[in-house]
Amino acid sequence: MDFEYTEDQERFRQELREWLRENLPDGWQAGERPGTDDPEENVEFLLDWQRTLNDGGWAGLHWPEEYGGADASLLEQVIYNQETARVDAPARINAVGIDFVGPTLMELGTDEQKERFLPKIISGEELWCQGYSEPDAGSDLASLSLSAERNGDEFLLNGQKVWTSYAHVADWCFLLTRTDDSGPKHHGITVFLVDMDQEGIQTEPIHQITDETDFNEVFFDDAVAREEHIVGEIDEGWEVAMTLSAFEHSMSDVFSIEQRWRSLVEFCQEHERDGTPLAEHTHVRRELARLHTRIQAGKLTHYRNVSKQMETGVPGPEGSMDKVFNNQTEKKLENFARRLLGANNALWTDGPDDGQWVTDLLMPYGKMIAGGTKDVQRNIIAERVLGLPKDD
Amino acid sequence: MDFRINDEQRQMRETAQEFFEDREVLERARERIDGEDVVDDLWDDLSEMDYPALTVPLEHGGLGDDVLYLSLLLEEAGRVALPAPLPETLAFGAFVLDELGSDAQKEQFLPAIADGDQRLSFALYESGQESLPRDIQLAATPTDDGYRLDGTKTLVPFGEQVDTIVVAARTGSGTGMDGVSLFLVDAERVDSEPQDTLDRTRPAAKLHFDDFEIGENALLGTEGEAGPTLQKAMDRYTVATCAMTVGAASRAVEMSSDYGSQREQFDKPIGQFQAVKHRIADMWMATQAARSLTYYAAWALENDEPDAARAVSEAKLFCSEQLTQVFADDIHNHGGMGFTSEHDGHIYFKQAKAWETFLGTPTEHLDRIADSHEL
Repeated sequence: MDFEYTEDQERFRQELREWLRENLPDGWQAGERPGTDDPEENVEFLLDWQRTLNDGGWAGLHWPEEYGGADASLLEQVIYNQETARVDAPARINAVGIDFVGPTLMELGTDEQKERFLPKIISGEELWCQGYSEPDAGSDLASLSLSAERNGDEFLLNGQKVWTSYAHVADWCFLLTRTDDSGPKHHGITVFLVDMDQEGIQTEPIHQITDETDFNEVFFDDAVAREEHIVGEIDEGWEVAMTLSAFEHSMSDVFSIEQRWRSLVEFCQEHERDGTPLAEHTHVRRELARLHTRIQAGKLTHYRNVSKQMETGVPGPEGSMDKVFNNQTEKKLENFARRLLGANNALWTDGPDDGQWVTDLLMPYGKMIAGGTKDVQRNIIAERVLGLPKDD
Repeated sequence: MDFRINDEQRQMRETAQEFFEDREVLERARERIDGEDVVDDLWDDLSEMDYPALTVPLEHGGLGDDVLYLSLLLEEAGRVALPAPLPETLAFGAFVLDELGSDAQKEQFLPAIADGDQRLSFALYESGQESLPRDIQLAATPTDDGYRLDGTKTLVPFGEQVDTIVVAARTGSGTGMDGVSLFLVDAERVDSEPQDTLDRTRPAAKLHFDDFEIGENALLGTEGEAGPTLQKAMDRYTVATCAMTVGAASRAVEMSSDYGSQREQFDKPIGQFQAVKHRIADMWMATQAARSLTYYAAWALENDEPDAARAVSEAKLFCSEQLTQVFADDIHNHGGMGFTSEHDGHIYFKQAKAWETFLGTPTEHLDRIADSHEL
């Protein structure tokens, strides 16, 4: 057991730091955030950032070199996460393409699919969304019903998806469909790569509690998908969807939570109550200490998970803990931050950082649901790690 | 960076687990709860495995392993509530001897510890309410050929089951780190009385010193300068207790998981109910988090990392605030059975509660963490 980084790893960190210093958008370090008022401008800005990342060779960090990636080790990915959190780097708008669709195609896609799609995913030319949830298929995803019916060498898609991030700007969709509803629900699901630019697909933005509209409802009315764009076997899409979660990969929110903690410490040192800096108030000091302990616990547990993954090659159910535990930490931290504001906690865009603190407060309540609610994650832990019986 | 346990460490743990089961250590913890004296026999068993030699330096006949290695062993010991002063002897006793002892003292004690012929404990508390080490007041007055101790010590772990007690005393006046000295005292000579403890697997004693004469050779290190080493020894001992608590917590998670799979109500295993299932998942997560903090604290202490003291306080804080809940949840999951002495849950719960405030309350640790961030 060793917590030191090797010289090579430190060199990787320095290189990345330097690149970030040179390539982060002007004014970023001073706190400017382009496009916060205008969603379209924001998307353009993030796509631009994706292209910048790719030009620097950072976009496909965990992709193999043959597909234009950096073939980074898990620990280098950890360092990347640490460093981008430290400077609060812009979000990766094509995370769906790079983290999920790309690796799945590398594993299960045809040569034509790889050739057609991978270069444009990494370059950011084509933005992807993930068509999973439906109005009646949420946590019970396998009960999905959006139908794909054969029509010559094409398929006609009819039905609806929901909570589809960036569907309104995405070029392609990694879509789960129902091709056979005669058997058990996990059978008869087929994955298509679907061109979003067609008449049969309409998107409706969903107004989120953060006032953002990244989510969408997506309506399919005789939309067309092509046979050569099926991923894996027809009717065997559930296995394809599950493959996504089995890639060696390192992700955790803990580094950005740690960064937020640091910025709150600064806030507490710069702001006073009753003539004393907040950071000198006993209850503030103790709460900061308690939160740091939780962040440290989450971070060290993440390192342990990554170390284990280096050995086994696949992420285990420990990833569920990462989500649940750090999500709780983030909620505690953001609620503590609101109390630091005193009565100004009641303000939104007139509050600190033009309302960013409100987004920060609300986002973890969304993350608690996205990609499997915390209840689903606890089921995963209880059943796969602890051997508790599945619900019947 | 690699957070994996290596093959040697894994093997040591497996061996320890088998050994503790084979020697029915948990059963002996129950005998200890019933007031039987189990320490002598148990210590012979531990010595058979060379466990008391673990962190004794090689040059003094020990195995020269580090705090992390000791923590891994104690994690296994915690699963069976080992009723023996192994943390006291190694994390505290052998450490202060190695740090402050003269050549003669090391030669006298360390090989004997390694051979299983010397058990050590420490006497720090006087009222049981004070902050350590700054409030140590027991007086050590210089005499012609040594010192005279006057005062009372309380909460001495295994005080009546060890050979030698490291007694903290004040050789100067006032409070604080300056003027604290450590003395090696022969336990047989001390006027002691047993104390009934919340965690009866771990007895304690009250010691009375009245014109108690000791020689010069009882002093460890330089007079009045033991404070910083004492703090480090307390930190090591604290990590040792965290390791035992983490081991106990993983046993609690296992007991709850097993019971959740077996016990049926409403015609199905209670572990199918998410109220129960999710509570056990939460117990597991808290245990994992505490384990991570404990391993890091052990590693940081061993490597004298700048954040070692903070790491210790974070591990202790988390064990105190979160793992006590794990044991409480285990009792809850077992329903009425959980409240019986037959179920093992109470053994761990009581131990965790007893350690919750020992050598630093959660509040004191919070303040130490905040100080370390210069808040």
